[in-house]
Amino acid sequence: MGASSAEVRVLANQPLGPGCFLLTFERQAFAFKTGQYLSLGLPGHREQREYSIYSGEGEEHLSVLVKEVPQGMMSRRLAALVEGDTLHVDGPFGYFTLDASESSKVPLLFLATGTGISPFHSFVKTHPNLNYRMLHGIRSCAEIPLEQGFVRDRVTSCVSRETGGDFHGRVTQQLKSLKVLPESHAFLCGNCDMIYDAFDLLRGFGVSSERIYTEVYF
Amino acid sequence: MKYFIMNLGCQMNQTDSERIQSVFGQMGLERTEDEAKANVLGIVACSVRQKAIDRVYSKVHEWNERKDSENLITFVSGCILPADEEKFADRFDVVFSIADLTKMPERFKQYGVVSPLSQFSGEVHVPPAASLRDKLGLSSLEPFWKVAPAYSSRFEAFVPIQNGCDKFCTFCAVPYTRGREVSRPSGDILTEVQELVSRGYKSITLLGQNVNSYGLDKKGEEMSFNQLLDEVGKLGQESQKAFWTYFTSPHPKDMNREVLETIARHDVLAKQIHLPLQSGDDHVLIRMNRNHSMDRYRSLVSEVRSILPQATLFTDIIVGFTGETEAQFENSRRAMEEFRYQMAFIAQYSPRPGAASARWDDDVPPSVKKERLENLTEILRVTSLEYNQALVGKTIQVLVEKNDRKGGFLSGKTEGKITVRFPSEDASLIGTFVRLQVTGAVPFSLEGILV
Repeated sequence: MGASSAEVRVLANQPLGPGCFLLTFERQAFAFKTGQYLSLGLPGHREQREYSIYSGEGEEHLSVLVKEVPQGMMSRRLAALVEGDTLHVDGPFGYFTLDASESSKVPLLFLATGTGISPFHSFVKTHPNLNYRMLHGIRSCAEIPLEQGFVRDRVTSCVSRETGGDFHGRVTQQLKSLKVLPESHAFLCGNCDMIYDAFDLLRGFGVSSERIYTEVYF
Repeated sequence: MKYFIMNLGCQMNQTDSERIQSVFGQMGLERTEDEAKANVLGIVACSVRQKAIDRVYSKVHEWNERKDSENLITFVSGCILPADEEKFADRFDVVFSIADLTKMPERFKQYGVVSPLSQFSGEVHVPPAASLRDKLGLSSLEPFWKVAPAYSSRFEAFVPIQNGCDKFCTFCAVPYTRGREVSRPSGDILTEVQELVSRGYKSITLLGQNVNSYGLDKKGEEMSFNQLLDEVGKLGQESQKAFWTYFTSPHPKDMNREVLETIARHDVLAKQIHLPLQSGDDHVLIRMNRNHSMDRYRSLVSEVRSILPQATLFTDIIVGFTGETEAQFENSRRAMEEFRYQMAFIAQYSPRPGAASARWDDDVPPSVKKERLENLTEILRVTSLEYNQALVGKTIQVLVEKNDRKGGFLSGKTEGKITVRFPSEDASLIGTFVRLQVTGAVPFSLEGILV
């Protein structure tokens, strides 16, 4: 699917968890596969940054989930946007996509940290009947709102810096305790260290590297 | 009035430069290699390494000092990061995106210098004012591609087929300097190749930052890379002329069996595959955002070896990428031994401004990077020599390129791009195919005699 480019109108900018916000804007003619990302910038500035699409393939608008980075160049500019502002969008890009025909037949394992939950939100919005299990790594229970839109009993909130959630510890600690079938397809998104460790654990479970899909957030 | 162009960086910049030269030619300017004699001074910049950008700043400072006593116009184009573009605007008279090449005469005329530049009113097509997204290369490249290049060689040509990159490898700034992947219309490419073949060109390289992503941006309205290669192959058959067609640089993600089978089918598609590895470690590949695993790469190499057993295999490898451990480097070392490349372009990692990895610690000490580079180079020397020694005594076809540094010798390349030299002072052989018997082999090159 080739990339397009457009200047679109911001429709909403809503807080979602500590330091995070959901930016929603016009979709115009953008076609994408669930799991892909967009490159966003502001008119008049050439700097752009990439964000996974949070919306489902069939939704009227596009949304991205952004964590505001105090020293970040783009996230602070995006945080300041309000309804009616203009946003420059290029995309879609990326290969972190879900083959719907394949995914309906096999167990899916989603591993995310923080806003790395975004492409998985797009997966479940696009294909509501997926057979998935998701481990979501967060620092505090205040980030649990990021998990809205998922089937609650398919999600394990792994809270690393305080007690609470479903599991106290890291995603990879929880992963070790699971029985992962070698025929599983595993999707890993977020922090690089989590992805490294989970990749090795999954290989240890007998999952081939061809069935492990990664999307690192930088 | 004379112009001087300093060309930095890769073959894409070379082909950009050839098109700039063509426009200057139309404007009545004469090229000089001596910058002291030029009134129009420009740089086709490269943002791959900070060193190349530093050279731009240094050179323009020098030229601006000359302006005290001379009437000069300076310009810069090529791969430029947004932050540098703003600074260049203060230092150069003209900063233009290569996509705006056809607008260049108008930009120069604004300087009011009494010269062929200010009087030029020729027919270089001027597109409408480019928007931000046009500058990022989404639609305005077609006028640029229609500019006939002033080829710098009479037998070897680079043909751009694609510009930009959508892969976002973390060590690379190309998506931010060249913009998104845009494929040149296949009709234009095949016309240019046809023209080159009819003029007797012997080596044609299809160029793109992500050359085998060709067509993907056109959403099914353009042929695929495989189909394009097949068309070049058919064109070659119909022409009944001998030439070799290469392509660079490809991404393993988009390489497939069909492309290899097409290369096997056509004589004019050179049996030389460049397959960048970058790292032999799955974790580093993830961190580089390469979007393929070592298993995937391994299966591709296996297909290359089975479908194109005679092909040479080249690669690119980065050592000392941010965070690369000794164990991860060891995997790259093992990969070098396993894949037995004929050539590898091995680079010590250096942060590329604008790329994602530039925001991370460059934490592998220079001495370790150097040691790793030497380690891989030593393996390459062994595998290259092994391949070359197997050619001794055989008769091979070679495209003669130039006088060799060793007096009384000419040098050229095999179809697999291995350098060969042979005793001859007949300069008329340059640009032709000759048959040589290989008489000697060393790492990275061969020696032969005419048969």
